[in-house]
Amino acid sequence: MHPNAVKVQIKRRLSGWRIISLAGAAVILLPILFVLLSIFNPPNDNWVQIRQYLVKDYIAQTVQLTLTVAVLTALLGVTLAWLTAVFDFPGKRFFRWALILPLAIPPYIAAFTYSTMFSYTGVVQTTLRNRFGIVPNQELITVSSMRGAVLIFTLFLFPYVYLITKSFLERQSASYIENARLLGRNGLSIFLRIALPLSRPAIAGSVSLVIFEVLSDYGVTSYFGIQTVSTAIFQTWFGMYDADSAMRLAAWLMIIVIGLFLVEMLLRKRRAYSSTTSKSRPLVPRRLTGTRGWAAGLFCMIVWCAAFLFPLLQLIVWAGWTFDSMWNAGLFRLIYQTLIVAVVSTLIIMIFSLIAAASNRTRSTASFVLSKAITAGYSMPGAIIAIGVLVVFLKLDKVWAAFHHLLTLGGIPLVLSLTLAMLIAGYVIRFMATGYNTVEVGFEKMGRKYTEASRMLGHGMTATFFKVDLPLIKGAVMSGCLLTFVEICKELPLALILRPFNFETLATKAYRYASDEQIFEAAIPSLLIIGISLISVYVMHYLDRRWEQ
Amino acid sequence: MVKRKFFAPLLTGVLAAGLLAGCGADKASEAGSSNAGATAKPSAQAAEQVVNIYSARSYDVDALLYKKFTEETGIKVNVIDGKAEELIERLKREGESTQADLFLTVDGGVLNNAKQAGLLQPATSETIDQNVPKELRDPDNQWIGLSTRARVIVYSKDRVKPEQLSTYEDLTSPAWKGKVLVRPSASLYNQSLLSSFIELNGEEKAEEWSKGFVANLARTPEGNDRDQAKAIVAGVGDVALMNSYYVGLLINSDDPEEVKVGQSIGVFFPNQQTTGTHVNISGAGVTKYSKNKENAVKLIEFLTGVEAQTMVTNENYEFPVNTKAELPELLKSWGTFKTQQIDFNKLGVHNAKAIEIMNKTGWK
Repeated sequence: MHPNAVKVQIKRRLSGWRIISLAGAAVILLPILFVLLSIFNPPNDNWVQIRQYLVKDYIAQTVQLTLTVAVLTALLGVTLAWLTAVFDFPGKRFFRWALILPLAIPPYIAAFTYSTMFSYTGVVQTTLRNRFGIVPNQELITVSSMRGAVLIFTLFLFPYVYLITKSFLERQSASYIENARLLGRNGLSIFLRIALPLSRPAIAGSVSLVIFEVLSDYGVTSYFGIQTVSTAIFQTWFGMYDADSAMRLAAWLMIIVIGLFLVEMLLRKRRAYSSTTSKSRPLVPRRLTGTRGWAAGLFCMIVWCAAFLFPLLQLIVWAGWTFDSMWNAGLFRLIYQTLIVAVVSTLIIMIFSLIAAASNRTRSTASFVLSKAITAGYSMPGAIIAIGVLVVFLKLDKVWAAFHHLLTLGGIPLVLSLTLAMLIAGYVIRFMATGYNTVEVGFEKMGRKYTEASRMLGHGMTATFFKVDLPLIKGAVMSGCLLTFVEICKELPLALILRPFNFETLATKAYRYASDEQIFEAAIPSLLIIGISLISVYVMHYLDRRWEQ
Repeated sequence: MVKRKFFAPLLTGVLAAGLLAGCGADKASEAGSSNAGATAKPSAQAAEQVVNIYSARSYDVDALLYKKFTEETGIKVNVIDGKAEELIERLKREGESTQADLFLTVDGGVLNNAKQAGLLQPATSETIDQNVPKELRDPDNQWIGLSTRARVIVYSKDRVKPEQLSTYEDLTSPAWKGKVLVRPSASLYNQSLLSSFIELNGEEKAEEWSKGFVANLARTPEGNDRDQAKAIVAGVGDVALMNSYYVGLLINSDDPEEVKVGQSIGVFFPNQQTTGTHVNISGAGVTKYSKNKENAVKLIEFLTGVEAQTMVTNENYEFPVNTKAELPELLKSWGTFKTQQIDFNKLGVHNAKAIEIMNKTGWK
């Protein structure tokens, strides 16, 4: 019997669950709307000169950077996905998972590592000079330029495209590709005429992830002195003490993001949803023999070394130099602070995700809008969320101070904007999507049968949730927890702006060391971040493998 | 079963979150000192003597000085590092609740911004007045100079003779086309240099200078001061604007490659016959709502004393403010030089204008 035939209409009243979800969505949207509405404030004098001399440059640089990175990550990611999904060659079994590893190195860490390696006194130029007497053209070899930034983002973000496209090809394309082979098509033409059009939604989805990462970046661009809208927000705010103009810039950036979002939705519109649990046969890879096999292996090897092995080795060497001075109570405190704030934020995110996703399992427009609202933070650059949260908290402080005064509690009121609450709020808004999406996928996979049965047998929403839903989606909740946790540990711009005093995370410390020209000292915190991130890479890989079974 | 398993950590988490948020304000007092990471309980504050610093000076020598100060006085020093602008932003926000007693930063303009924002208070002490000459202090003693640095012309010893160099203005002449290096305009050091030209020669002349200077650049500004020196040695350009102490840091670096760079560049003090070399200051001010004002003043006295000043100049190659301090050989070899005679507060006054001129003239 068709499951839809026994679809039970559960009364959609405004239950407590619903109310919590709506309230949560409102809290998430509040800071974002605040920023957007600042466009309607009257501009100040400073804005006039920013608009006159700078905005064009900022936007041009931002667009140039994101588009180039989008194209290059798509090329590299899809090529590697195609190689590892469709062919068999020496080293393939290793590269299949090893090529996800670059995701464990946040781009800002890669940025200062590479720019130091290639600087005049770095290992590359020093070796060339002292061993071979070569002094390369500085213009060409420097990494801290637009070209270098594109390279860094491409090398360290392509795995998004690689991973998602590879899974798609392995799972969905077998019959098409085999038929094409039977009909005598050769590799390249299959790739261009079948694989590419087929995996377009996967590519578009993953490239949009990359684009949002680049737009949100502050670490790489500010370290290389590239003027993007994100770095300009920081500069206007802190360099010119002009929060209003910074808000206005943030609003413009938001408009760009929303525009991209719409484009992406259009691109995905014609996507045929095929359920992830489909029983399509996996693709049988074809052996690449002789030179072609070795060439494929070598290509993967080069990419893997550049995007993972070399920077990691360099960081390990530096860590060795600074181990004695760095390995002390201060470092342990740093680790503890990073973990505690990440754990608390992750818990809040996961609890709310569960509540919202559980109460949002219908396929109505309203619930679609709700889930979009809850996950809005992920596509918002960190600087925007930071400035929104800060402004909201400052307003709260004013209200609270007046209230405090009214109650004549005496003493100095607690200033909310000086507490960790602000940073946690920022993290929650920004990474809600990571938790919520995994939980939502968990619910989708489980379907509604069990829940409906439980409700029919007279259990309420809450009882059903704990007795039926939760045990069934435990796996999704666990991976959601881990992914969110890692994202938070890596996060830089939010933490830089919203952290309370005397509070540093591993990310802010590593970045501050790097920007204070203490690159070697930055190595140990960086390695710790990479270590934590490896967990999430493992989770992704594990999930990817699970699909196959 | 499931319930309990799930709820216990949840509750703990929520409680922890509440506690963390609640203690946020208290926690601000537990600033981990930069190298010990030990924490001072707020309740113990009364018993334990502390001084809390917001510092935008992040030099290794500072940590050594604080340690020495604690050894001598028993007063514990807690430091929070940050960018100057961020620290000022925070001080404004914290208002009366601030835990900071002392604000340390490089750049006279920033010190003046802090003063104008009403974040500082006078530090009156005979010792300070004796240690620091009048021109290196705020007229109301709201900030006290700790060291000075000159923004000099650094040149390639191979390709440039010092006789070819004269003034900042001369760097805009056709002779230097494609040979000049400088870091991006986002750097305060550059902003204050231009502010000093606005003060001395007026806006129009300053804009003219910036335009000519940008036209002579060997490459789009990138990197920091040290990178300009490396670029000279690598042959990208012949001359660069740099802070004097970086030359000392390069020559005395642990990295042999940096030492080579330091040894192949020369230092030139421009404008000796005219307005003098641009000098900027790093300084400290007692915060308006300091809870440990006495300790803060004691620390300034210590930092401006002969011993500490000698340490600063020997470790960091900055110029001391205390004339009795013993200079390192390198600084002695540079000899004395004529400095710009302007009020440091003016560097802050003209800062916005300087940024505007840089934007207008395309100084990236």
